Amino acid sequence: MDSAMLRTEALCYAYEPDETEPVQALCGVDLAIEEGSFTAVLGHNGCGKSTLAKHFNAILLPTGGKVFVKDIDTADEERRLDVRRTVGLVLQNPDNQLVSTIVEEDVAFGPENLGIAPEEIRRRVDEALKTVGMYDYREHAAHKLSGGQKQRVAIAGMLAMEPDCLVLDEPTAMLDPQGRAEVMETVRRLNRERGMTVVLITHYMDEAALADRVVVMEGGEVLLDGTPREVFSRVRQLREVALDVPQATDLCFQLRQYGLPIAGDILTEEECVEALAALLGDPHGIA
Amino acid sequence: MMNGITIGQFFPGNSLLHRLDPRVKILLTLCYIVAVFVPSNWYGLGMAVAFLIAAVLLSRLPLKLIFKSLKPILPILIFTALLNMFYVSGGVTLWEWGVLHLTTQGLIAAAFLAIRIIALIAGSSLLTYTTGPTALTDALERLMRPLKVIKVPVHEIAMMMTIALRFIPTLVEETDKIMSAQKARGADMESGGLFKRIKALVPILIPLFVSSFRRAYELAMAMECRCYHGGEGRTRMKQLHMGLRDWLALLTMALLIGGMIVLNVFVTPVL
Repeated sequence: MDSAMLRTEALCYAYEPDETEPVQALCGVDLAIEEGSFTAVLGHNGCGKSTLAKHFNAILLPTGGKVFVKDIDTADEERRLDVRRTVGLVLQNPDNQLVSTIVEEDVAFGPENLGIAPEEIRRRVDEALKTVGMYDYREHAAHKLSGGQKQRVAIAGMLAMEPDCLVLDEPTAMLDPQGRAEVMETVRRLNRERGMTVVLITHYMDEAALADRVVVMEGGEVLLDGTPREVFSRVRQLREVALDVPQATDLCFQLRQYGLPIAGDILTEEECVEALAALLGDPHGIA
Repeated sequence: MMNGITIGQFFPGNSLLHRLDPRVKILLTLCYIVAVFVPSNWYGLGMAVAFLIAAVLLSRLPLKLIFKSLKPILPILIFTALLNMFYVSGGVTLWEWGVLHLTTQGLIAAAFLAIRIIALIAGSSLLTYTTGPTALTDALERLMRPLKVIKVPVHEIAMMMTIALRFIPTLVEETDKIMSAQKARGADMESGGLFKRIKALVPILIPLFVSSFRRAYELAMAMECRCYHGGEGRTRMKQLHMGLRDWLALLTMALLIGGMIVLNVFVTPVL
């Protein structure tokens, strides 16, 4: 037994719409997500990344291969609840995952389903709401919150079940820039401060750049897997699958194309500024 | 256009009535509905009205609200009062025209019934005015729990009510959006006769329907993610406790009904 939080072995999944031929959404995915890591799964629409996310907490079951959550086979029906309380899945649309009208009652929904004692639920709800910075809104009506706030409440709803791992399926896709920043900040903090294992499914490059590891998916397979630096330095390969790289990386890539001596693994704007300053400060470098 | 809708019409507050256990409030309301029809004399009816006035004062809600709750039933009120006025005969005839004749007994019967209906509506609207929707569904689930014995899916009904309440504002918002979208494409919803206007609703209802199904599917998935597996083994964060004031409220109601029955025995009926 290894220490992987999540592990897939030759995972295949085919959607079987009634009349057409089965659509192969995942074919042979082998992944191991380490405990305490922050992994971003990147890919274009229809690359299978959402399908993958739904396998991590047994919403979907593999049609081929295996998925293990802390060595529990997700296909084991007896242990389905154990899987779901270990891996919390946050979905894309915040409106469609809040069950109750009032914020704190919604956060309590998960622990209530687990049959936890009322006082303990209260403690968990308060703590979860404080963690995502929504404690002051605990008695507010959920539908009146902003998108980013709703998504943070949804995350709190997962945290209240005290999972070991959080999988977020494009949690920022329907949010405005401010909401995105709020949610990303919350997710990062959970990983850094709490050691929460995070799997972030996204199509935003700058979000993926925050992770420790980036997995790029294409056509239901893993295309690239490595640190953000390694992955984003392969600009050409990413372009081929219609994915972009962070703007700073792109700028440096283009400068390199013109033959400028600039590093190929630049991720953030600060690094880019430094590299450019170094370049400009050294006239011999340009020549 | 649809922002005026507030289902349940809850007015938050911290009055005695607000703080009563919602289960007790539902029971009180049910008892009151029955109680209004118990008295057969003015004294008994007076007790019912006095109880209502006390409750309204205790709720510290503006009186305007109580009158507002009566507005929709005004036509029914007038209709039943008129019927009673002309159909109940006896006493002194005041006015006659063909088959219509107005008697003192008729007037008394009309007034008696009108007061009953007013008390009934005002009394039951106090329940929704002072109880939040979640507290209401919660209390209903607990009150109906004995029905589980005869296989009534109590938990499922309560869960459906909770979700319905949760999604009303979301769907209202969506309806507004679809309406704007259809108007932007030249849909005309404000002119024409009734039939034309109903027909104009079709392009709004169909997208709304489709998206509701999509929402339901996603919500079901989200609920599964949160370990929902029916009512079995489920606990609740908020527990309901019967306090002294709840027992006192129930006792008051018992006294009210008891008093009315005693009065019925000793006082000659109005009719």
